[in-house]
Amino acid sequence: MGMRLTPGAFAHPGSSLRYHTGSWRMQRPFHRHRAAPCHTACPSGEDAQAWLALVEQERFREAWECIVRANPLPAITGRVCHHPCEHACNRGRFDQPVAIHHVERWLGDRAIQEGWDYPAAAAAPAGTPVAVVGSGPSGCSAAWHLAQQGYPVHLYEALPVAGGLLRSALPPYRLPRTLLESELERLLSTPIDFRPAQRLGRDYSLAELQADYAAVYLAPGTQRSRAWDIDGATPHDLHIGLDLLKRWVDVGSIPEWSSVAIVGGGNTAIDLARVIRHAGVKEVHVITHQSLPHAGIRQEDAMPAIVREIEQALEEGVIIHEHRGVQRLVLRGERVVGLELVHRKKMREQQATRRFVSFEGTESLLYADQVIPAIGQTVDPKGLEALLDHASHLAADAVGRVTGHPGIYTGGDARGDRGSVTEAIGDGRVAALAIARDLQRLKDSDTTEPVPVAYDELNLNYFERQARPATPRLPVDRRTAEAEVTGSLQRAEVVGEGQRCLSCGNCMTCDNCWTLCPDVAVLKTRDPEDENSGYVFDYDYCKGCGLCAHECPTAYIVMEDET
Amino acid sequence: MTDQPDTPNTRELRKNQPRFSGMESGHRACLGCGEALAARLVTEAAGPDVVYANATGCLEVFTTAWPESAWRVAWMHSLFENAAAIAAGMEAALKRQGKSTRVIAMGGDGGTFDIGFQALSGMLERGHNVLYVCFDNEAYMNTGIQRSGSTPHAAATTTSPSGKLRMGKRHLKKDIVTIVAAHHIPYAATASVAYPSDIRKKVRRALAIDGPTFLHIHSPCPLGWGHDGSLSIEVARLAVQTGLFPVIELERGGLAGVMPIRELRPVTDYLAIQQRFRHLFADNARAREELEHLQALADHNIEFYQLRGTHPDTRDTEGADTVTRGGMRWA
Amino acid sequence: MQHALEGSQALARTVALCRPQVIAAYPITPQTHIVENLSKLVADGVLDCELVSVESEFSAASVVLGAVAAGSRSYTASSSQGILLMAEVLFNIAGLRIPLVLTCANRAVSGPLSIWNDQQDSMAVRDAGWIQLYCANNQEAVDTTIQAFRIAEQCELPVMVCVDGFTLTHTLEVIDLPEQEQVDNMLPPFDFERRLDPQNPISIGTLVSPDFFTEARYSHHTALMEALDVIEQAAQSWQAISGRTQYPLLRSSGPEDARIAILTLGSVSGTLEAALEEYPDEPATRLIALRSFRPFPIEALQQACQGLTDLIVLERALSPGSGGIVGSEVRAAFSGVVDAPRIHNFSVGLGGRDIPLDIFPRLHAALRNGDGLPFAVIDLEPDRLPVSA
Repeated sequence: MGMRLTPGAFAHPGSSLRYHTGSWRMQRPFHRHRAAPCHTACPSGEDAQAWLALVEQERFREAWECIVRANPLPAITGRVCHHPCEHACNRGRFDQPVAIHHVERWLGDRAIQEGWDYPAAAAAPAGTPVAVVGSGPSGCSAAWHLAQQGYPVHLYEALPVAGGLLRSALPPYRLPRTLLESELERLLSTPIDFRPAQRLGRDYSLAELQADYAAVYLAPGTQRSRAWDIDGATPHDLHIGLDLLKRWVDVGSIPEWSSVAIVGGGNTAIDLARVIRHAGVKEVHVITHQSLPHAGIRQEDAMPAIVREIEQALEEGVIIHEHRGVQRLVLRGERVVGLELVHRKKMREQQATRRFVSFEGTESLLYADQVIPAIGQTVDPKGLEALLDHASHLAADAVGRVTGHPGIYTGGDARGDRGSVTEAIGDGRVAALAIARDLQRLKDSDTTEPVPVAYDELNLNYFERQARPATPRLPVDRRTAEAEVTGSLQRAEVVGEGQRCLSCGNCMTCDNCWTLCPDVAVLKTRDPEDENSGYVFDYDYCKGCGLCAHECPTAYIVMEDET
Repeated sequence: MTDQPDTPNTRELRKNQPRFSGMESGHRACLGCGEALAARLVTEAAGPDVVYANATGCLEVFTTAWPESAWRVAWMHSLFENAAAIAAGMEAALKRQGKSTRVIAMGGDGGTFDIGFQALSGMLERGHNVLYVCFDNEAYMNTGIQRSGSTPHAAATTTSPSGKLRMGKRHLKKDIVTIVAAHHIPYAATASVAYPSDIRKKVRRALAIDGPTFLHIHSPCPLGWGHDGSLSIEVARLAVQTGLFPVIELERGGLAGVMPIRELRPVTDYLAIQQRFRHLFADNARAREELEHLQALADHNIEFYQLRGTHPDTRDTEGADTVTRGGMRWA
Repeated sequence: MQHALEGSQALARTVALCRPQVIAAYPITPQTHIVENLSKLVADGVLDCELVSVESEFSAASVVLGAVAAGSRSYTASSSQGILLMAEVLFNIAGLRIPLVLTCANRAVSGPLSIWNDQQDSMAVRDAGWIQLYCANNQEAVDTTIQAFRIAEQCELPVMVCVDGFTLTHTLEVIDLPEQEQVDNMLPPFDFERRLDPQNPISIGTLVSPDFFTEARYSHHTALMEALDVIEQAAQSWQAISGRTQYPLLRSSGPEDARIAILTLGSVSGTLEAALEEYPDEPATRLIALRSFRPFPIEALQQACQGLTDLIVLERALSPGSGGIVGSEVRAAFSGVVDAPRIHNFSVGLGGRDIPLDIFPRLHAALRNGDGLPFAVIDLEPDRLPVSA
């Protein structure tokens, strides 16, 4: 007969591979690395998720290197940053935010302890140098990033030492001196040509910089106090908040007052209040039209000072009067003996402008023998008259190009729309990148802000609730003007925080997709012994059911329509 | 646009996966099929030295469209009602041959609770060294969603639809694991595709036991239950977290293990995302009463099996499949 | 060696000699003595196998199906209701080409309920795809059972050995039971090529679409037709070993010049042989005892019927609404054949009614009267039923 016969129609193993079920698909999964909210929230551009992953694996040195690729001063920011990353952290909605700030501090401290070298630059410095004016956080950051890209950098500083406000205005109980010195010294020993005791307007001019350098980055900060009065009246011995703080940091003494009122709600006000309390002044009041940062208060209505610092101030006995303004000074002769307080708020208007409103009938008297304004600073115009033209701050675009002055860039407090060390560091980085692009005549890339992974996109069924560790705090009765109040986490706690990181938008090789695909269409790549195996989709068989995307804990898998 | 490397050699990769491949790609299961996943996990955990007896149903149909087969293990399908008897025969033969090869019977809820019940009972009573795995998608799905003894109370199927006079299935879900355990067998357990590590652990535990063992795996059917294929795991998880599907272990008829529910969910969370319970959300008294009934059934399970653990357990509904960097969550 | 044994006892001991590794046992009259005897042999350590006392015939057939699939020679027995209950499995076993031997102790099928012998049960599953061999006496049953294992394993087809219930199973006869060595010579160890083996895994029992089903089913049919040769070879091999002459497909006896023949299956042939001697004045008659019903031996039958003018088909079965079953198949075998004999089809002995020797003259009388009916129930008694019925 010669025809093919079959004994009972049995089949051979795995012969189904001939049938490509991928043809069924209406949508297909993709791996897409997305920005974690900590990354988009960080003013200095750190990818906290990336370095937390390294911390979890106890690869501390690599984690530190990851940080300094954006922010070269982690031991400092790990103490003074207001950590918007933690506010944005998705874990915060699940149980408590990852202690990113404290982990950064631990890594910064460890780098100093272990003497880890800063990563080498892409290329040896070559070409016309770039000038940076001001060695505060912004100037240091700009210098670092320019050097990393291979530009020779000359960093000018008016004072004999580097640091700017970090040195002059941050009290040691927040930022210990030794630590500041170590971090700055280590940074400045990378190929950055540091030129201290050179003051703009006295020792060199802006015109000279423009002539000799390929570009100029100005980070002079805001050294000048705002004029302040209450209906034209001021104390005869008016001390401006920041100046007073600086003097105290420098000299260490506060005049002997029995009761002080500080006007302002920012870090300077709080720092000053605590310094004055430590110095022994019995009553220290902070007057602010804004709210204490309770749960439920919107960020724009709250005092801009860092929450932890406010908490510690309250512990130390500082009295904060929220939603108040000073209506009138009570003077005896030229001496202040008190202030008339009134309920005051900034009202939101229709065009998003705001105006202060004081509520008639709510006046009260506060007895104080000193009132100190801490309401902000402006740029010292010396040497920058041509740029400033009587404005209080330097006007610049999003990446720091000073308006109307090509080749000149700025960032940090001098811009006027900043208020933190981290933002200053971020400005330095962004401007350095812009300088590089401009010098190479490259266009700015299409900067659409990446949308960070939202809480609802994660699959949190695969995590267990776990509180973050409490950071040690010096008990109130042991606090002095010098001792660092906030302590450090332990190594195990640090690694634990790395584990608590949800890895938003990035694969954590948890094996969920590989475990849960009913069609064996997710395959592990790389050597199976290597814990960091990645995965690939086998599109010959993937039916596009979307189970992998739905069960991916980190929102790393997205489904898109099959084209 | 994607982090996937260009054209990886998937053929080679497939041969080098760090797990045993019992069920291969190319099978014709629906998108997001819970049963396909459960069967894949079972064959993976059981390893190569096993022969399988599979009852008629979705699983055997979508894996063996001749001349193709997705199975990489020695496998046989005979009829709808005899998986347990076929397995018993295989076990007798292999025992007589002095082989160490194990026997696993696989059947759906139809082939286990209903038509195959007799053969299962006989196999258990005779003490065969067989692991019987029931993939429970709560209806005769292969023939188009008809009600079985396993269909839960108030669920709609084509033979228990909701309408003017009826609110879905009138009768209760048959308590198969208790009936099976009443045969006094060494091990009977329930599991869910939402907890793959738990399934693997239970398969291995059952195979390590000499004598008849039984594993009842809750496996959502997107088509039959009325939800998107991407939600199969979520649905299965909710069934457990509400208490409607208790995850328990029975040894010789006595309760030996429970997966506690750490964060309890109301039954409505589970019911609301499935079309087969859609009629329970109508605005009428009967619907509301049925919702209460289902909640009461869940509450009863919670009380009876003590499903609320008193403190967090690494094997409770939150801890059982906690992810870690690097994966390999082996039980 | 010669023994005086009850039919079921002889079968049990024969099965034991064939060294099955798995036996499934479920009781049903009149097969029960077979499994009881097997159980005793196991309990006494004479038969070393897994005896699985299942909970229904459906499971009995399923257990042996699974056992053979796993590579072990296996056996079970059933009758009547049991055969029908396991019918689904019988089709499955044959379609999957699983080599198995099953003894069918022929018994009538309910309703109404009867425990006595007729062949409705095996006839009801004639399309399941099994080889069906009918035994005329207990010696044949013993010899056929042994050959059945060989045939099954060579063809990869299941074999149903049909033995009239009570008439054979419960009758004491002198049987020549072979020695173990003889049986071992006849039956090499079972080595099933398609067995389920983790070292070489295959999938048995797949879903076959219309694209392939015709060829798959045809493959099965072809295998059955090719079994005709294997049945003959097995008979020859057994003859060489045991010295007993076998007729593989059918036996034709009686005067060569007879123009009339009677075709039967099973133990009725013994009754007719005695009747031939008892009634010498009746016309010369040949007796054709059909052994292989499936595959149906068309060629052998045509040859055996050369020169006949009349062929009486006498069967212990009836297809309600149609008539004889064997008769229809015989008629079909002669369709279009030149000089085919006239075929007269009678059912007899339904539900175990005794077949007396005078059936022989009654058949001849029916032939002479020639009422021309295609079919009749020869031992029907119109006034037998009670008045109240």
